[in-house]
Amino acid sequence: MRRTVPILAGLLGAFLGAIALSVSTGPTAASLRHVVDAFAENGWSGIAGDAGAKVVLTLRFPRALLGALVGGALSASGVAFQALLRNPLADPYILGVSGGAAVGALAAFLLLPPDSFLPLPLCAFLGAALAASGVFLIARRRSGVSRERLILMGVVVGAFLNALIMLLVALSPPGKIPGALYWLMGDLGLGTLPRVGVLLPYVAAGTGILFLLSRGLDLLLLGDEPAFTTGLPVEKMKTVVYLTASLLAGSVVAVSGLIGFVGLIVPHGARALVGSGHRRLLPAAFLLGGTFLILADILARTASPSGELPVGAVTALSGAPFFLFLLRRNGSKP
Amino acid sequence: MSASLLSARGISFRYGGREVLSEVDLSVREGELAVLLGPNGAGKSTLLKLLSGLLHPQSGEVFLQGRPPASYGRREMARLLSVVGQDPPIDFPMTVEEFVGLGRFPHHGFFGGWTPEDRAQTERSLEMTALSALKRRGLGEISSGERQRAMVARAICQGAKVMLLDEPTAFLDLYHRVAFYEVVERLKEGCGIGALVASHDLSLCAEYGERIVLLSGGKVMASGRPEEVLTPENIRRAYGVTVACDRNPATGSVRVTPLKGQ
Repeated sequence: MRRTVPILAGLLGAFLGAIALSVSTGPTAASLRHVVDAFAENGWSGIAGDAGAKVVLTLRFPRALLGALVGGALSASGVAFQALLRNPLADPYILGVSGGAAVGALAAFLLLPPDSFLPLPLCAFLGAALAASGVFLIARRRSGVSRERLILMGVVVGAFLNALIMLLVALSPPGKIPGALYWLMGDLGLGTLPRVGVLLPYVAAGTGILFLLSRGLDLLLLGDEPAFTTGLPVEKMKTVVYLTASLLAGSVVAVSGLIGFVGLIVPHGARALVGSGHRRLLPAAFLLGGTFLILADILARTASPSGELPVGAVTALSGAPFFLFLLRRNGSKP
Repeated sequence: MSASLLSARGISFRYGGREVLSEVDLSVREGELAVLLGPNGAGKSTLLKLLSGLLHPQSGEVFLQGRPPASYGRREMARLLSVVGQDPPIDFPMTVEEFVGLGRFPHHGFFGGWTPEDRAQTERSLEMTALSALKRRGLGEISSGERQRAMVARAICQGAKVMLLDEPTAFLDLYHRVAFYEVVERLKEGCGIGALVASHDLSLCAEYGERIVLLSGGKVMASGRPEEVLTPENIRRAYGVTVACDRNPATGSVRVTPLKGQ
């Protein structure tokens, strides 16, 4: 038996530590201490009256929470897509979710009045859901869904949507484009609290369902025929995993834009720590992904004095060296 | 005569327009090792897939303990019948022990936890296939013969009454080939398992098999005890090879020797 419990406990510690660091970092000098001190002095009214405590609780804490949810959900979705497609190169965006979300978001940006906030995530989510279900329906045959066809159709639909994105960008008035592109690069900054509220039920349901299906995900790694003869209703399982992982990724993309790298690499990092059994892997990937994205977001909002960087750019820049180290260290176990 | 665990009656199967199997009858009884012989492309793997419910015959019927495979739930069926086929490679880290333990899925399903019974069966299967010393190794760190033994161990771990094995000894050395058939003997006698093994290894099949089904061009060419099926005439018709068949003086079973230059 691997020493799983201490590893998971360590990951949980890192996760909570990252949240604590995140709420204590920023241009206003405020940290968790402010909250504790204010509470100790005057109870809840003390917190309400303390400017530092307010910054921590109403601005930074929701943002850390959003990072945790987004990073965790992308990683869990990535784990599921890699098992579903039996492909270590799969990520949550491989089957059209990203292109669909981008087209939906761009369409919202270009066609809707600029002051409305909610329609954008809604359109992005609809775009993601449409693209993902389209890929699935095209790849489906009477005998079931083959992985090869799913990947092929995902790539074709992705190319089509990319062309559509370029077309939309080329045809739109210049003033509108930077905002849309910035959203596409992924950010955790604006309207944080409502976003956490919208995202939380999706992430809880999606990751919950995947966790319940852990043993079935283990069997999917074997391939369709061995999984079938070992007792898994393979086609049903593939449909449920596909829908769950796509909706999970779609809801995340809708509220945070396209944050890459996390869903592809964190699953491998988590496997290096706890192995491929999904009962251990999913919680480990969620915690590692959440921790990683919170840290990347701290970097994104503090690194440049002129303003925030898109967190989607920071994830790969900062994460690549760390994960290269982690994967090299465990390179003996492919 | 003991009860038939698995039987096929007059099953035919076509891929597109090409007839792969026609009118095949076959049965596997309790405590019996039946061997499926036949040249490449004779339809052995297709027949095993039809028997395991992976494919459905266009005509004819398959019965597993008296019921058609489609009438079983997946887990229910996996508790009765296990299959060793040609698995695709796995590109993720997984230890031999984890891989073999997956065979317990039909017993605990999605939500049940691991019981001492699951652990004991996994240990036992690893031991029977001489993999205990390798159980912490990754699947990528063992040889193809050891991987094949791990697949057999996974099927044993599944605890099914019928085992279908598609060339389970293809990558094994002589020692482990013999060891494989010895394990099947133990399972037959200890648990009353019925096994159907597709193979190209005529001498070992003659030694261990109670019954041989010789498949050629999608039809059963001969079926019966090894000495009835393994005749120079049958083997020439099925494989196009001239052989001499005599009795092994040490064991008394049929011995097939290909003749040079004929």
